[in-house]
Amino acid sequence: MDATDSVGAAGRHPLRVTLSVWYALLLRESLTRLFSRRAAWAWLMAEPLFHIAYMLAIFTGIRAYKMGGVDVAIWLITGMCAFFMFRRVASQGQNAISANQALFSYRQVLPVDTVIVRALLEGVLMLLVTCVLLAGAALFGHDVVPDEPLLVIGAAFGLWLIGLGWGLITSVLCGLVAEVGNLIGFLMLLSGAIMPINSIPQPYRDYLILNPLVHGIDAVRLGFAPYYHAIPELSLPLLYAWALGMLALGLILQVHYRERLMHQ
Amino acid sequence: MILVEDVHKRYRTDHGLGPWVLKGVNFRIPPGVSVGLVGKNGAGKSTLLRLIGGVDHPNRGRIERHCRVSWPIGFGGGLQGSLSGRQNAKFVCRIHGHEDDMVDRLQRIADFAELGNYFDEPVKTYSSGMRSRLQFALSLAFDFDVYISDEVTATGDAAFKKKAAEAFKQLAGRSSLIMMSHGEGTLREFCTAGIWLNDGYAYWFDAIDDALRAYKESIPKWFKRSSNLRLRGSAPGGWPGCRTSWCPRRFAAACLPSPLS
Repeated sequence: MDATDSVGAAGRHPLRVTLSVWYALLLRESLTRLFSRRAAWAWLMAEPLFHIAYMLAIFTGIRAYKMGGVDVAIWLITGMCAFFMFRRVASQGQNAISANQALFSYRQVLPVDTVIVRALLEGVLMLLVTCVLLAGAALFGHDVVPDEPLLVIGAAFGLWLIGLGWGLITSVLCGLVAEVGNLIGFLMLLSGAIMPINSIPQPYRDYLILNPLVHGIDAVRLGFAPYYHAIPELSLPLLYAWALGMLALGLILQVHYRERLMHQ
Repeated sequence: MILVEDVHKRYRTDHGLGPWVLKGVNFRIPPGVSVGLVGKNGAGKSTLLRLIGGVDHPNRGRIERHCRVSWPIGFGGGLQGSLSGRQNAKFVCRIHGHEDDMVDRLQRIADFAELGNYFDEPVKTYSSGMRSRLQFALSLAFDFDVYISDEVTATGDAAFKKKAAEAFKQLAGRSSLIMMSHGEGTLREFCTAGIWLNDGYAYWFDAIDDALRAYKESIPKWFKRSSNLRLRGSAPGGWPGCRTSWCPRRFAAACLPSPLS
C-alpha cells in the first residue's frame, strides 16, 4: 500500500504542498463561509448574539444581575463565546469532508486538510465575533477587559483544540454512523454556557464536571474576573488532556479511514 | 517514468469487500510514451487511472511517479458549485504551487475556456458543456509531464471539440498521455503504446494496434456475431448475409468500434 512521488528538482517538498493546500483551502473556505449565502457573515454574529440576548432577558427578568459574582452580561458573553469556540469549530469540522468531496480528485488535498483548515477559519472568525460582542457590551458600560488574558487565551485555545479533535473524530464517524452528528446539540445545556453548573443538584453536578467543556468555559470566565466563583474542581490540565486525547484519536481515525473518506 | 508494481485493488461495497478489480498489475511507463488503456466496461480502466493519478490508493503493491502527473481529467469532480470559475481556477493554481504566476495562468484558463462573463459566475450555473470546458482549460494551464485523461476530447460543442482536439495534439507533442477511450481513432492518434486490461490483469503492448487487436480477440465470437447482426441489420446496405466465420476480420472489427459501450 504505497504510492510515492519523486520528481527531482521540480518537485515540491511535501510540507510545502500541504501548506499551499491549506492556504488555498483557507481562502476558499472563507469565501464560501462568509459570502456563499446572502449576508452569511451577518449570521455568524447573529447566532451567539441571539442566544445571549434571550438568556440575558430571562436572567434580568428574574432579577439575576450577578452570576457567580460576575456581571451577568459578561458571564453570558464569555460563556457563550467560549462554548461557540468549541461548537462552531466542531460542527464545521464535522461536515468538512462531506462538503469537500469534489476536491479529493486533486491528490494534493487530503480529507484531514479540510477539517484542519475549517477549524483554523472558525477559530479566527469566533475570535472576531467575540471581540465585536465584547466591544458592544463595553458600549453599554460593562467591564469587558480580562484581568488574566493569558488564562483566557489558554482556556479558549483548549476549547478550540477540543473542537478540532471532535471535528476530526466525527467527520470520520459521520460516514459510518450518521447519527453522531446530532450529539453536539445536547452540549450547550450540559457545559455550563447558559446554566451555572454550581446550581445543579448533586449527584448530577459531579457527572457534569467530567465534561471538559465545563472546565474550559469556567476558566475563560475566571480569566475575565478573578473573583468569579468558578467550580472548585477547575482544571486546565483536564481540558488539555481531553483535547490531546481527542486530537490523537481523530488523527488516527483520519489516517486509517483516509481512503474510505475520499469516496463516500 | 511511472512504475506500477503488483497493484491490487478492490472496493468496499455495502455488502463487505467487493471482488478484486485489479489482481496484481505490473508495468512501467517509460518517459515520453503515451499509453492507451483498453478493456471492456468494468475491467478497471478508470480505477487504474485513479490509482496512477494518486486520487486513490492500491490495497497492495506500489505506484511510483517520477514525473509531474496531472489529476485525472474529465472525471467531473474538482469544481465547487458555489464558487465562480475564476475562484475555482485560483484554488487549483494555489494547490499546485503557482501562487506567483497565478495572473498569467488565470488568463490562459479564461482564454481557453471561452466562458466570457460566466467565468465570474458560480459554477453551479454552468451547463455541463461549460463545466467540461473549464475543466479542460484548467488541466491545460499546468505543464504536467504526464496527463491522465478519461475521454476529455469528447466534450463541449463542435467548435470547442475542434479546439480541444488541436490543443490535445499540441499537448501530446510536449507531454505524454495516459488515456482511456472507446474511440479507436483517438487512441491510435495519440498513443504509441497500449495496455489491455482483462480479468484484473494488465498486458503491456509496445504498439497500441497490438493492444487493440488483443482486446478485440478477447471478445467472444457469439457476441461479435450478434452485434454484427444488429449493426448490419440497421445499415442502409441491408442484410448482406455474411457469417462471422468467413467474414474478413478487418471488416468485423470495423463494425465494432466499441463493442460493449
